[in-house]
Amino acid sequence: MSHDSRSNLILGICFAAFALLLIFIWIPFDTDTGLIEKVRRQITIGDALAPTVAGIFLLLGGLILILFERNAPDQPEVDPVNLGFMAVVFVLLAASFLVMRYGGPAVVALVNLSRETPLEYRLLRDSAPWKYTGFFFGGTLMIGGLISLVEGRITLRAVLIGIVAVLAMIAVYDLPFDDLLLPPNGDV
Amino acid sequence: MGALDYIWAGVLAVFLGPELFSVFGVPVPVTIVMIFAGFFLGIAVGATPGLAGPIAMAIALPILISIFGYTPDALLPVMGFLIGVMKGATIGGAVPAILFNTPGTPDAYMTTLDGYPMTQKGQAKKALRVAHLSSVTGDTFSDMVLFICAPFLALLVEGYLDLPEKTALLILSLSFIAAVIGGSPAKGLISTGLGLLFAYVGTGEDFYPRLSMDSKVLAQGFPLATAILGVLIVGAVFKELTDLWREKRESGLLAGTIEDSGDQRLHMREIRRLVPYIGRSAVIGTAIGALPGIGSTLAATIGYTVGKARYQRTKSPEAPDFGKGAPEGIAATEAANSSVSGANLIPVLSLGIPGNAAAVFLILAADSIGGFNPGPSVFRFTADAVNPELVIAFGLFTAMLIANLLNWTIGGVFMRSMGIMTRIPKQVLLPTVLLLTLTAIYVQETRMEAIWFTLGFGLLGYVMRVVAISPLPFVIAFILGGKLEESARQAFAATGGDPWFLFTHPIAAVFMALSVGVILLTARNNRVRASRASA
Repeated sequence: MSHDSRSNLILGICFAAFALLLIFIWIPFDTDTGLIEKVRRQITIGDALAPTVAGIFLLLGGLILILFERNAPDQPEVDPVNLGFMAVVFVLLAASFLVMRYGGPAVVALVNLSRETPLEYRLLRDSAPWKYTGFFFGGTLMIGGLISLVEGRITLRAVLIGIVAVLAMIAVYDLPFDDLLLPPNGDV
Repeated sequence: MGALDYIWAGVLAVFLGPELFSVFGVPVPVTIVMIFAGFFLGIAVGATPGLAGPIAMAIALPILISIFGYTPDALLPVMGFLIGVMKGATIGGAVPAILFNTPGTPDAYMTTLDGYPMTQKGQAKKALRVAHLSSVTGDTFSDMVLFICAPFLALLVEGYLDLPEKTALLILSLSFIAAVIGGSPAKGLISTGLGLLFAYVGTGEDFYPRLSMDSKVLAQGFPLATAILGVLIVGAVFKELTDLWREKRESGLLAGTIEDSGDQRLHMREIRRLVPYIGRSAVIGTAIGALPGIGSTLAATIGYTVGKARYQRTKSPEAPDFGKGAPEGIAATEAANSSVSGANLIPVLSLGIPGNAAAVFLILAADSIGGFNPGPSVFRFTADAVNPELVIAFGLFTAMLIANLLNWTIGGVFMRSMGIMTRIPKQVLLPTVLLLTLTAIYVQETRMEAIWFTLGFGLLGYVMRVVAISPLPFVIAFILGGKLEESARQAFAATGGDPWFLFTHPIAAVFMALSVGVILLTARNNRVRASRASA
């Protein structure tokens, strides 16, 4: 937080510009009806009105930031190092969900190498242990990876915590219920 | 049915509801068990830094709905559980604040000021006892006010407000929330505008789903749970992970433990000394809590400031100052922040407007299960036919009383035993909470897009926190967006297509003037404060 930060002014300009784009371009081009419609001699509110109200809130917020709050004390300073960390977190999350999505079919494909009649993951997605494979590998990667990222080193402890946490989640969300599907089994 | 019949029916719905098991032939109703379970879980999560009541609610909700299903019978057990969590987390939050100088929730920050110095003097247990007594007193007082005010406010709204006035009231609530949450009306308006905008994507009355950019994924709109959990929970996890990573880089070590010394009990004369502080703070917290959107942090700050002013006038010379380990400081803070929770349900139950994160989850539960729509229609005391929503409302009040009873009796003991939770490292807790939340979303929605949406909303919640935009107006606007549009459409039709319906009806016009006034006044005050600060 700083007195010298211009983050409020920048934020105000960005949101005022976005609100104008929203009100004058996105909403008119992406809704079927305008603000007010006349249908069979009856006047009704069109689909564009509510998002326009949202746009007005954004525009007002942006303008007040520019006009009244640009010199406010304790404005936040955006640290690019933190944003870099978040980018790495998102890469890790994307990798974890890719492993979660394709982990199960990949294990089945590996098993099929030694089988005469091939298995199909789609048909196994509701039977243990197959239904847990993607969630297990993806979830462990996510938890273990995030712990390692924060601690700045990869440790066996982080992986073990990931495994225990994922097993606990399987026990909570899947074992007692027949009707719940763990990720990614609703999509495969 | 008369009013007393409804109250009695609500009590019976809790005590004579579906039986979970029986002990020596005595049936134990499922709602009671769920209130117990929620209450103990609430204390545990409140006592764990990095966790909070809303996180437990988010994770538990899909499990509860799977267990109890989508029938009206599920409402009381599920919402009873959530109420238990809400109550438990309120007292649990003081544990890390007192023992480790780490506020579990922002509203417990002021508790650290006197709580931790007491721990350093070996008075940790006494400090926890003061916190418990103050918290539970404030909470009970606040609940009493809720029980009395919510039905009357709802009857007033139903009796005097027509469609244009109700639409204007929703706009006033959104403006008020935007103006007061986070201290910047501009950022509040942006947060509210974003919430409304996302609520309107893929919805509307036309054949073409508006603002969907011809995408099939966006055409269905954003599920309520993805927006709420994404912005509130995932966004908070991202922010805490970043802070933790920074902290670790700059090297931070946990303080060692301090042994208790001296008398840890709370004596009657000490309680008598605390009563004025608890009483004032309970009134302050309840008054603040009754207004939607004003959080318990402000209540705690005002309660502490008012308490400090009195203490400086009345304290004995040898007593420690506020901020140096005065039990009165803990009492003033805890009574104020705890008395917000009950009063915060006044706008939820009487107007359908959520005022804080816990209320948001109660509305999410009601919305997911169906059969109960918080709002003025709940309190229709119909004599000829039973209004089931009113029975549920009185059932919820009964659940709150049971949770309070638990709080008074065994809450303190359980709270003091929860010091162990503060030792779970955040770097272990946060990734686990993240996967738990995303799994909870998936088991509800069963499609990967829901996870991507939640992560997207999480990123939005993170960015909002980085640029000091409060995420709560976003969530409240997302919930109220559909209701606002529907109410405006009905009012417009009912007034024969009068485009000025918000200004031609006197009460609606007053609400609209207040909406503009509250924004302008707060913006002006902020500007004056800014120019004073820079001078």
